[in-house]
Amino acid sequence: MTVPQLTVEQVAVVIPMASDIQEVGRGGQKIVFSGIIDARKYALKFMVPNPSQVGGQNSEFLDDVTSRAQREVETMQQCSTPYLVGMGPVGLNTTDIAGDPIIYFSEEFVEGQNLRAYLQSDGVFSVPELIRLAFYMSEAIKSIWQFSKIHRDIKPGNIMRRNDNGDFVLLDMGLVFDLQDESLSVCPVGTPLYFSPEQMDFNNRRMIMNFRSDLFSLGTVMYEMVTGHHPFTQGATTTWEVLGNIANAVPQPPMALRQELPEKLSDVIMRLLAKRPALRYRIIELFQRALREVETEGGLQ
Amino acid sequence: MSLLAQCGYGRGGKIEQGLNDGVIHGVIMSPRDERRGRLEQDIENWGNSHPNALVMFDPQFYAANLNNARDGHLSEFDYYNNNSGLGRTHFSGTRIQGYVKECLDYQHQTFGSNLAYLISPTILFDAFRDSWSQIALNMAVESADYHSKLNSPQPLLISLVISETAFQTMDAVEEFLDALTEIDKQGFYIILRRNSASVQNAMESAPFGRFMYFCHVLTTINEYDVIVGYSDWHSFLLEAAGVTHTATGWYQNLRQFSLARFQPSSGGRRPRKRYSSAPLLSCPLINPELQDIYMANLLPRVLSESSHDAILQNGPTSGEANWSDEISCLAHWYSLNALSQRLSALPTQSGRILEAERLMQNALTLYTQLSSENVSFDPSTGPDHIREWQDSLQEFRGLAGL
Repeated sequence: MTVPQLTVEQVAVVIPMASDIQEVGRGGQKIVFSGIIDARKYALKFMVPNPSQVGGQNSEFLDDVTSRAQREVETMQQCSTPYLVGMGPVGLNTTDIAGDPIIYFSEEFVEGQNLRAYLQSDGVFSVPELIRLAFYMSEAIKSIWQFSKIHRDIKPGNIMRRNDNGDFVLLDMGLVFDLQDESLSVCPVGTPLYFSPEQMDFNNRRMIMNFRSDLFSLGTVMYEMVTGHHPFTQGATTTWEVLGNIANAVPQPPMALRQELPEKLSDVIMRLLAKRPALRYRIIELFQRALREVETEGGLQ
Repeated sequence: MSLLAQCGYGRGGKIEQGLNDGVIHGVIMSPRDERRGRLEQDIENWGNSHPNALVMFDPQFYAANLNNARDGHLSEFDYYNNNSGLGRTHFSGTRIQGYVKECLDYQHQTFGSNLAYLISPTILFDAFRDSWSQIALNMAVESADYHSKLNSPQPLLISLVISETAFQTMDAVEEFLDALTEIDKQGFYIILRRNSASVQNAMESAPFGRFMYFCHVLTTINEYDVIVGYSDWHSFLLEAAGVTHTATGWYQNLRQFSLARFQPSSGGRRPRKRYSSAPLLSCPLINPELQDIYMANLLPRVLSESSHDAILQNGPTSGEANWSDEISCLAHWYSLNALSQRLSALPTQSGRILEAERLMQNALTLYTQLSSENVSFDPSTGPDHIREWQDSLQEFRGLAGL
């Protein structure tokens, strides 16, 4: 996988309706610019198709980067919740820049701070903030699951807090797993620190993965955002050891690390972190009801 | 939590009386044992006479793939008769859809609002990882899908018939629970197939503890309704695990489910009369066990305090002739219902577990006291089953972290 080497000027040629174009970030296989289109700011994402898989213009087979981008765009188009990043005015396109194939599309540009940065600058969340995060992310997970899809990469770096209203938005649907479509991966994908136990069982993923896997990842994020500690990194020095902890270790309840936390909230987070999906929440509404109970009992409404 | 009547052959007036007395709160009908016309008429009648009773119809589709099943009146029901004698090759996706449709359509169209739930068809399986369990799971998923299209106001219970041997290993239980809890329906109607049905026959402690955990995950954790059929004395333990309703009947084969119920009868003599003692958590023989207790002046300690006790109070053997099958059944329901009500009055699961432990400890203490008064018990009535139950409860507590 390569990151496209693009300049602002080249982007302006590819998307002439965009102005005030600026580079805002580079990921594992993409480069992201911001640009103004019709007086609104959007993220403009560029990727290089996987050269080893490109079968020429007339090939009916798509390479994995293009297929993932296609799924990402399709998911954004399907889901209408404000807690998932939305699609921009530029749909999925391909072009050549200096003879190299490039794929690109636009999405909503979320002005704000991601939770990884928040943890580093501001520290842990208050209880009301955490409940708000949990509600919004549960809506995002529900919205994706309506289409039999799983996000698979819920982590602090993929959750933004909007500057304007403080709402939380889940980003980056590039690794979405579609239970009703062909698989785009040959090995487990996502961020290992936020894997669910069943996410590691790659060969059986179609049988055992559902939205409850995303709930586990959300539980890991909630634990981290409210205690400042990752639940599964204690005593681990390698990724394999973290994965071992995710599969086998039961973390301390959050309230053991932060005593003023409501016990019920601590229990909700621990339930999300249950090793077996059957011990989490079988429908999102039960999770949301538990959150409301924490609010009510704590007088937080 | 409440007790339901597990119906079979020879209903007589027991159901009406049990509902009127408030010792049962509903009925699970058995098409194997009823003429179709009478069954349909009775369900309609109960809808009028006991509108709050939980009336259910167990389609008993699981008999369709038993070899030479003694299936009684089931052949009068099209959903069964069109599909009996099924082998492993008869469970393709399309065929399963057909079985599900016929079975749920029958309940929906015939009984309407007179049923509290519709019950899905299923087949029996012996292990959570065998191909039959996968077929049962496919039938469950198809039933849930079809029920969603049916727009029935009656919620659906997914039925499962599981051998007790399936609970020998825990990891397979958890895998199955992961799959089951993907189903978004009202709940489950579960029958535990016993290897044999006899009067005491407590299950081996570890598998039963796992079965309790299985029910706990479905009810307490995932908030499904769970009704366990043929649960009899195990009911109070299952209620401690969170089960919504339990059921038992009058004959031994309606108190514990085994395949003997669907096999040719080997005959046998009429069972000896017994008394269902809530304090002892068992059914001592009226003669000689209950009589010996009477002679030791300890009869009040073992009575369940139902109105029927008066028949035996002046000497069990002298009252034995009046201890009819119907009274015996009503007294049995009274005892089990009393235990059930005692547990359900407690607001927390930990409270119910402690109460179940207390009931078992009290029963053992009572057995010890009776033994010291030279009252001896037949092995089928002795206290061994209670020790098995205590171990089951410990197994369950360990698994559930309670």
